[in-house]
Amino acid sequence: MASELDTIVAPATPLGRGALAIVRIDGPRSADILEKLSAVSPDARLATLAQLSLDGEPLDECIAIRYAAPHSFTGNDLVELTLHGSPLLVERVIAAIVECGARLAEPGEFTERAVLNGKLDLVQAESIADLINSRTALQARLSLGNLQGVLSRRAAAVRESLLHVISRLEAALDFSEEGYEFITRDDARREIEHAIADVEALAETYRRGRATTSGLTAVILGRPNAGKSTLLNRLVGSDRAIVTPIPGTTRDIVRETIEIGGLPVTIADTAGLRTSGDVVEEIGVARAREAAASADIILYLVDASAGLTVEDELASYPDAIVIYTKTDLALAPQGALGISVKAENGIDELLNRLDAIVRDEFAAAAGSLVNERQRQAVLGGKEALATALVALDAGLDEPVILVDLYRASTSLGLLTGAITQEHVFAEIFSKFCIGK
Amino acid sequence: MFDVIVIGGGHAGAEAARVCARGGARVALLTMLRDAIGRMSCNPAIGGLAKGNLVKEIDALGGLMGEVTDRAGIQFKVLNRSKGPAVQGPRAQCDRDLYASAVQQILADEPNITIIEDSATSLVHDGKSVSGVILKDGTRLDAPVVIVTTGTFLRALMHSGEVKTVGGRFGEPAAETLSDSLRDLGLKLGRLKTGTPPRVDRTTVDFSKLEEAPGDAKPRPFSIVTDALPLPQVLCHLTYTSAVAHELIRANLNRAPMYSGQIHATGPRYCPSIEDKVVRFAEKERHQVFVEPEGLTHPWLYLNGISTSLPPDVQDAVVRSLPGFENAVIARYGYAVEYDFVNPEQLDPTLQVRGVDGLFLAGQINGTSGYEEAAAQGLLAGINALQKIRGSDPVILRRDQAYAAVMIDDLVTQGTEEPYRMFTSRAEHRLLLGCDSVYERLSPVAERLGILDDERKQRVEQRIARMQRARDAAETSVTPDRETLAWLNVALNEKSSIARLMQRAGFDLAQFTDACENVLPEVAEAFRALSEEESDGVVSQLRYAGYIDRQQREAARQADEEGMQIPADMSYGLPGLSREMVEKLSFVRPVSLGQASRIPGVTPAAISIVRMHLRRGGNRLGDALSS
Ligand SMILES: Cc1cc2nc3c(=O)[nH]c(=O)nc-3n(C[C@H](O)[C@H](O)[C@H](O)COP(=O)(O)OP(=O)(O)OC[C@H]3O[C@@H](n4cnc5c(N)ncnc54)[C@H](O)[C@@H]3O)c2cc1C
Ligand SMILES: Nc1nc2c(ncn2[C@@H]2O[C@H](COP(=O)(O)OP(=O)(O)OP(=O)(O)O)[C@@H](O)[C@H]2O)c(=O)[nH]1
Ligand SMILES: [Mg+2]
Repeated sequence: MASELDTIVAPATPLGRGALAIVRIDGPRSADILEKLSAVSPDARLATLAQLSLDGEPLDECIAIRYAAPHSFTGNDLVELTLHGSPLLVERVIAAIVECGARLAEPGEFTERAVLNGKLDLVQAESIADLINSRTALQARLSLGNLQGVLSRRAAAVRESLLHVISRLEAALDFSEEGYEFITRDDARREIEHAIADVEALAETYRRGRATTSGLTAVILGRPNAGKSTLLNRLVGSDRAIVTPIPGTTRDIVRETIEIGGLPVTIADTAGLRTSGDVVEEIGVARAREAAASADIILYLVDASAGLTVEDELASYPDAIVIYTKTDLALAPQGALGISVKAENGIDELLNRLDAIVRDEFAAAAGSLVNERQRQAVLGGKEALATALVALDAGLDEPVILVDLYRASTSLGLLTGAITQEHVFAEIFSKFCIGK
Repeated sequence: MFDVIVIGGGHAGAEAARVCARGGARVALLTMLRDAIGRMSCNPAIGGLAKGNLVKEIDALGGLMGEVTDRAGIQFKVLNRSKGPAVQGPRAQCDRDLYASAVQQILADEPNITIIEDSATSLVHDGKSVSGVILKDGTRLDAPVVIVTTGTFLRALMHSGEVKTVGGRFGEPAAETLSDSLRDLGLKLGRLKTGTPPRVDRTTVDFSKLEEAPGDAKPRPFSIVTDALPLPQVLCHLTYTSAVAHELIRANLNRAPMYSGQIHATGPRYCPSIEDKVVRFAEKERHQVFVEPEGLTHPWLYLNGISTSLPPDVQDAVVRSLPGFENAVIARYGYAVEYDFVNPEQLDPTLQVRGVDGLFLAGQINGTSGYEEAAAQGLLAGINALQKIRGSDPVILRRDQAYAAVMIDDLVTQGTEEPYRMFTSRAEHRLLLGCDSVYERLSPVAERLGILDDERKQRVEQRIARMQRARDAAETSVTPDRETLAWLNVALNEKSSIARLMQRAGFDLAQFTDACENVLPEVAEAFRALSEEESDGVVSQLRYAGYIDRQQREAARQADEEGMQIPADMSYGLPGLSREMVEKLSFVRPVSLGQASRIPGVTPAAISIVRMHLRRGGNRLGDALSS
């Protein structure tokens, strides 16, 4: 058992020319390696100037920071070197560190070590990747919150209440002679119901969480010549789609992503809705309807100068935002949203309206579920808890109810780690005086 | 010349010696005191929650503990009666002297066992395999297989207040040097602690002040070979500690070895001393004390609940503060004992020391606590020693097959930091491990090994057939015509099997069989043929069929992983496997992928790497895992 952990090394910043580049060394030999390369052994957490060289050959002048276990990102002894930002330098320094006994880290290995050492849980580890990939401030806020444990704490609260019921039901089975009434069936029922409510609330955060991390889609629908492509071009700020006075100009879907309300929104311009008899155009219309079916937001355009026609499909899209176009030619009906791209009228109102919709209906607060894995974990937990409740109400024995409670714990455990036998014992022995 | 030497005549040693002898091996049972064979060091009771299941498993495998308990039992009680058979635990208060003599009698009846009253001072080995034992006077005893079951005796030290005495049990010596042999073999040893309460002269107790604690009106024997219990059944009693006792203990804590720093070893959390209870749960106003007779005529009472190593004068005062004990005289003071144990991760799942051919360890030496835990290990170590002598495949039971398998797998895979005791919650497939199905699960294994005598074999077969007949009868359908409804006396809208009816809340079997009498005589007859314990079992099997099926399917899925064998010489230097994982896997050296996945800290990612590697090699454990 005595052999020690590998010391690993990798660049922490992208390889490329820049002012600075950071290299991380993790493991028990990290401080020794620094000393070997620089004759410096800095106090923990004190930025220290170090001249790196190997076998008399100078490598770089850098700032070294040493972190002592367990107070580091990984929980191990760790050294960070801030070098000058040259790919060649970074490569040479890493080669020297490997020469001193470290090995190159596998992708994700630093984070893995942090998880193994209990510095991060799985949800937090995922948030690191999300944070790095954030494209907007709102996304960054969600990922940072989850990295700081907001979601983990919510999930942990559910886990806590589950541990509370499980441990007491177990105690009633394994320590029934101890003279305690550990839990009544009514209490167990209440606690399970409570856990179900918590899990449901958590599951509901997924719609916003997913929208926030992956962004939204908005589809522009309307009859030919309604001005759909013109609006797309205006929102994007460039001539992305072809605009002509000929109805049926757009066939393929044209997509472009912009930021609205702090989130990336992908806007899709589509073929105008009509029955034309033209094979190509018909395919385009079918694609438009398909895109609308999975869209988060639908903008339905009506040419104000033509008005609503029998061919309009407004009734099929009750949640659509209806926008009257070309208000330079004709007025929009009373109270309706009208725009004229040509006269630059109503565009700000439209943008404000979209901004509000994104913020109110799609932006997620920290503590939201953000990916399918997390959602499945929560839904699985919910299903198992519901089954446990049915078993309880049917008057079945505790060992059977526990089967479902453990299933719930395993599923929710994908977020926070499952409840182990040792957790159950620790809870029982700390709360009850057990032992004849 | 012996085939196997068993060191230690405790509960582990007795089972190991007996099963080897039954299997035809020539056995030397080497123990310090002949008279102490089968002695109960602590509480004179066998079974209880989860432990009772172990005893049943021993019985189904042809071991002796269940039979001995029936011969010596003076109060039988099924615990958790209202919680479903999966977690019901039979327990029996025993006459300690009759218990030991029954064990001694059974061993004496085995012609293949030679009992040697001596002490093993060291093992004979070449570092890779064991070949015998050295006795106190230097004599050497040869055998290719040695089973060490020395219990609490390795470098044992007893504490009673400030007084320390060398010895593994009151009045008995310690094994001072055997630990060195184990260390020589490269084994890591640790130290644990356990304790025992004072015994009181029963003539000095006023029973009128105690609550009565009766056993079951219809006591159920443990063993399938027992028709009737031979001994009269007696009462136990219950009393409580009070603030007076707690005050006394608090005032004398500085004289308690656990608090004065005299003992460093870890004791069991589930079996704390009274000084622990008073310190850790200061707000609790009273603690239960079960007053249990040590035998039918034995002059002592065992005070279950106040295990202690406080000095004698404090024990006197504490005991006299108990209602009914105002004039009590302590016949033997409570004490704690510290002893060496071997970290069990160094064993393979047959309880053989990894890397030392022929050396098996069983019982408290492996970090467990309790007679039943010791006996179950002794039996399985014995079975595997026997298989080794025969040159046959090892017997590794699965976790969904026996509590004993759960225990052994936990021990060899995870090790233990406190004395390990069996609990039902340790078994993830506990619905499959009820006492009702124990003979179906395990007797066929014993039969195949040739360690089940004819009498047992016959009784097992009859029991299984009886229960099967009842299950089949329950498949009979009843239709909701007026006639049926009249005799059945239940609401019924559609045709339904009797098994379905049993799933309803409030189903009453006795009432049902009476109702069946005339209409479905074969059904009534099938259920009438069962004992109460058997019919409880059948009803619950039918009632929980859905859940049982699901656990069986889960277990089968896991069995796939269990069947994926890892070669003993596996090198874990696999690409992608971090050093930490390599270390953990190389320390435990799991025999199967299933076992590997249960090693604490081994990640699912590491398991998939090992799985991929094995897939390429394609090893299946197949028959070695008995089913
Ligand atoms: C003081 C005390 C308190 C206990 N308290 C509890 C409790 O609270 N709860 C609980 O569940 N269990 C308790 N037990 C444990 C229970 O008694 C044991 O778990 C069980 O007896 C272990 O069985 P075993 O076969 O492993 O060893 P033991 O029953 O201890 O038998 C060991 C045998 O080995 C022999 N032996 C040892 N060394 C040698 C040698 N070198 N050569 C020859 N023979 C040798 C001894 O003479 C003895 O016969 C306690 C035990 C003691 C001593
Ligand atoms: N006067 C005026 N004309 C506009 C306005 N917006 C668009 N148009 C014109 O309307 C015509 C059709 O515009 P498009 O944007 O191509 O319309 P569309 O909805 O994409 O049409 P299809 O692709 O054929 O479905 C073009 O000649 C545009 O110049 C506007 O605000 N005012
Ligand atoms: Mg267009």
